[in-house]
Amino acid sequence: MELMQWFFMGVLFTIGVFGLSYLSLKVKLKWYTWACLITGIIAILFGIGWAGGSFLEGVAQSGAMGLIIFSGGGLILLLLTWRYLVAPELEPEGS
Amino acid sequence: MSQDQETKIVTDESVPPPEHHEAGLNDNGTILDDRGRRTFLKRAALGGGGALLAGAGSYAFVKSELKGEPVSDYPMIDEAIFKPKDQRDTILTFIHNEALGKKHPERNIQYNKLQNKNFNMHTGFADMYGLPWDNSKPGYTQLDRALQQAGWEPLVVAGSRYVANLQPDTPLHAWDQSAVVDEQFQFESEKHAGDAIKSAARVFGAVKCGIARRDKRWDYDPLYDLENSKELSWEKDFPFVPKTVIVMLVPMDYDAMATAPAWTADGTAADGYTKSSVLANQMTKFLHGLGYQAVGAGNDLGSSVPYAIMAGLGEGGRNGALLSPGIGPRHRICKVYTDFEFVEYDQPHTWGITDFCLSCGKCADACPPGAIPKMESENGGYGFEPNYEFSDEPGYTWNNHHGIKKFYSDAKKCYNFWVENGSACGACIASCTFNEPDMWHHVFIMGITPKTPGFLHAWMAELHPKFGYGSTGDPKKAEKFWKTGEGMRTNTEMKNNIGTSNKS
Repeated sequence: MELMQWFFMGVLFTIGVFGLSYLSLKVKLKWYTWACLITGIIAILFGIGWAGGSFLEGVAQSGAMGLIIFSGGGLILLLLTWRYLVAPELEPEGS
Repeated sequence: MSQDQETKIVTDESVPPPEHHEAGLNDNGTILDDRGRRTFLKRAALGGGGALLAGAGSYAFVKSELKGEPVSDYPMIDEAIFKPKDQRDTILTFIHNEALGKKHPERNIQYNKLQNKNFNMHTGFADMYGLPWDNSKPGYTQLDRALQQAGWEPLVVAGSRYVANLQPDTPLHAWDQSAVVDEQFQFESEKHAGDAIKSAARVFGAVKCGIARRDKRWDYDPLYDLENSKELSWEKDFPFVPKTVIVMLVPMDYDAMATAPAWTADGTAADGYTKSSVLANQMTKFLHGLGYQAVGAGNDLGSSVPYAIMAGLGEGGRNGALLSPGIGPRHRICKVYTDFEFVEYDQPHTWGITDFCLSCGKCADACPPGAIPKMESENGGYGFEPNYEFSDEPGYTWNNHHGIKKFYSDAKKCYNFWVENGSACGACIASCTFNEPDMWHHVFIMGITPKTPGFLHAWMAELHPKFGYGSTGDPKKAEKFWKTGEGMRTNTEMKNNIGTSNKS
């Protein structure tokens, strides 16, 4: 189980790195936008890692809290960053 | 493709904005051309490599923080009031010796008067184990009582049960030195000696081991043979002049301790006493085999917590226990006194634990009889003198070792609750913010705690129970404990302790 958790996180990490790399080709972003995106991805991964450890040690409440606070917080940060800082840069001019 | 065709494509009006081409995107701005793929992979490699380096750096930081920072200001002592502790004035010796009870009847009378109780300290222990089980009450069933009794049994068989009550010179911790071999092994260096002792400790089951100089301030003086009501002298009765004290920790089970104050928790406490006594016995024999004099000890001979702090194993907590990074207070301490002194000594370290205790107070909140000073106490309960309820009453704090800056708790109330509860409690261990299972996220939190601003400590302490850790008095935890062996043929986890043994 623990091995699966780290494997899963490795896959998500790789997807995150490739996604950000692709985004860097597609649009020019401000430094703080990158900081928010990277922080969001790290928070999501941290929450998943936290939850995995908590479920393995049998404290499900900690796992749920980890997912809500860390991963949830990271997801919200990513969504807000995307909505207000990334998406406007992707829209064609004049639209 | 001809030269004309290439020129036509580049100059075509339908070509998308130039930044797409600069970035290596194709005409519709989505699929990468060769140059784009190269840039994409280069950036992914750089980003991924950077993230891995940052991760490795974080890991190294946490590992480094777990070693702690050496401190020079331990112990802080008020010389005007400090004096070595008479063993007869410790709670566990006093309550187990009727002669001491007859000598100091006022202690029991004063306690009952102030606490409005009708408690007999000297029959309490027998009353405690005589409380009948209730199979409808999880944690207080025949199953739990049997676990508790089985935990103690090896010490009973070995005639060393009273080692928990500070009885010196028991069979497992005998003072007899006739087994010391004539030839003394010569170590190459002090480090060689320290490494060898800690390697042996690891084999014998210590989760942590540190080496301190013998310090008379922590030794009970005089010692007291409570089975024979006899005062013992370090100079006349102890077989040699100790120079070194080897301090070792034995872990207790996380899930069993989590049931506190249920009897189940006392099962792992009893087991811890047994294992720590065997460990000290083995280390003693090891030193005898090397040609050096040694005597093992559990709670006897000296105060274990300051010796463990001097050996760099942890810091003093609000609950009066040693809080060791990784397992917090969930351990038992044993010691080995020896005349061997060609060894690399450890020194006190800090991990910010005592500072954290000043902002936490979860153990005080969880303590059923309220024996631990709460955050609201004067100076947060931290000082050179006890300042718990009734500590101003003359003679009431007879069991405390005055003059050391620490948290003082009322062991009389603690013991009184044991008797009412039918077993030792452990709520202050189970509720401690530093009592965590061995998982990476707890190691991470432990690692960053020393660098965390003080104002965040109270917030971290509040989050601990909200994340599901540290609750006490929960019958479901006893039910859960009795399922922890489900499906187990081989215990492949052994996850109760962070692997920091030998890393003082």
